[in-house]
Amino acid sequence: MGLHDWSLIIFTILGQMSVGVFLILGIVHTVAVRRHPVEEVERLTDRALFAIGPVLILGFIASLGHLGSPVNAYLSLLNVAESWLSREILFGTLFAAAGALFALMQWRKIGSFAVRRIVALVAATLGIAFVVAMALIYMLPLQPAWNLWVTPLTFIVTSLLTGALAIGVAFVASYAYERKREGADHAALASLLHDALRGLVTAAVILVGIQLVAVSLHVAVLSAGETTAAVDSAAALTGDYGVVFALRLTLAFVGAAIFGFLIYRSTIWATSQRTIGTLVGGAFGLVLVSEVLGRYLFYAASVPITI
Amino acid sequence: MSDQQMAFYIDLAACSGCKACQIACKDKNDLDVGNMWRRVVEYVGGDWTRSGDAWVSTVYAYSVTVSCLHCQDAPCAEACPSAAIVKRDDGVVLIEEDRCIGCRYCEWACPYGALQFDDATGKMTKCDFCADYLADGKEPACVASCPMRAMDYGPLDELRDRYGDLAAVAPLPDPSISRPAVVFGPHPDSRALGSTSGRIGNLEEV
Ligand code: SF4
Ligand code: SF4
Repeated sequence: MGLHDWSLIIFTILGQMSVGVFLILGIVHTVAVRRHPVEEVERLTDRALFAIGPVLILGFIASLGHLGSPVNAYLSLLNVAESWLSREILFGTLFAAAGALFALMQWRKIGSFAVRRIVALVAATLGIAFVVAMALIYMLPLQPAWNLWVTPLTFIVTSLLTGALAIGVAFVASYAYERKREGADHAALASLLHDALRGLVTAAVILVGIQLVAVSLHVAVLSAGETTAAVDSAAALTGDYGVVFALRLTLAFVGAAIFGFLIYRSTIWATSQRTIGTLVGGAFGLVLVSEVLGRYLFYAASVPITI
Repeated sequence: MSDQQMAFYIDLAACSGCKACQIACKDKNDLDVGNMWRRVVEYVGGDWTRSGDAWVSTVYAYSVTVSCLHCQDAPCAEACPSAAIVKRDDGVVLIEEDRCIGCRYCEWACPYGALQFDDATGKMTKCDFCADYLADGKEPACVASCPMRAMDYGPLDELRDRYGDLAAVAPLPDPSISRPAVVFGPHPDSRALGSTSGRIGNLEEV
């Protein structure tokens, strides 16, 4: 496990998280404006939206670390016709561009609500294409541990899961900032935050459930695989990497289910801001570490059919 | 350059596993320690079993020399994001190093472990079928070096006419994945594709 793999782990996780944040922000926004004034909603969502850019850029920078000749990186679009790696870079760049355009329009309130909505939908579609292309890179016949529906499924769940909890953190931080401002009305914002956090942790609990089932099924499918490479991959997960595997499952469960439950039960009014901050930050942190470990295992425990 | 797919022929029965081809390749291409464009895999298996008062040996071993097999459906070329892997009209698969970004994606797609990353240059490298020798009408270095005369090369169709169409034995992967340009002559003990009766005996070497 060299630097090479860590750069891929960081890139894939940050890339997926960026897409997840964008998609879930869209959902939160759509749902929230039905019950709360748009201006209030955007006081929370806009800052989270602006945070995506730096995260995605960090991811792209990390991805250069896995190239032997990073100065040649601009050539990576030459084989869009055949290579999923080219397509991943293409969709990733287009997602970044469309997302940046949307963020700019949102910041300066350029264009009508409807126009901005269309730009956001285009960016969201490109984001999904980015994550799907990322998954298809690994769907290689020689890599039985990757060449399964589990790969796209877990990539999408990772996007949404880390995205939902990252948004939670951004909202709590945004709220804390707004409260410090003079003369702002926080009652409306507090009720909005309360609703949003409940929705986000509910989503996180469901997503972690899907993730845990998918990860366990993956081991079962691999150990029943036809090739020795598949069986060896399963054995690596439960044997050599068993401790990491168990830790990954535990952290995901504690982060999303237990912390999620506590967040769900608390209210913005009765619980101290610090407690809410710790819980939301903790849930995000634990789930993020779990996902990073999961991605580490993805690379480390894949035994290829090759000689 | 001909427009017929060039290929290797490996006579497994004649191969003694001496690895002269591997060394000739390293020498010709000046490859550093750890970079092997041609590798000789030893496949070993069998046991001693008791039959009445006697012990009978079923122990066997044979060697399979592999390099890039200049596959007809080169999955490495398909994977490469910068289109740095090209298949010539004569089927020889080459890496254009200027274009390689060193992402190592091709490595995941090659069934034969033929792609060898050069840490010093940050580029992927592999067997080029001694393209310079071919252009001069000379044999590839490995073929020329074999003391057992176990290797041959030429257009795939001609090799098939001469030697048959065996494209894999254990422990090689399924040839339908990439349709490698290779013909094997069987060894009396060679096990069929997918057999798990033996194992690679020199893993740390290849
Ligand atoms: S053996 Fe590997 S490197 Fe050579 S053509 Fe086939 S897939 Fe490509
Ligand atoms: S390492 Fe080089 S040759 Fe291989 S896929 Fe990447 S760019 Fe192409």
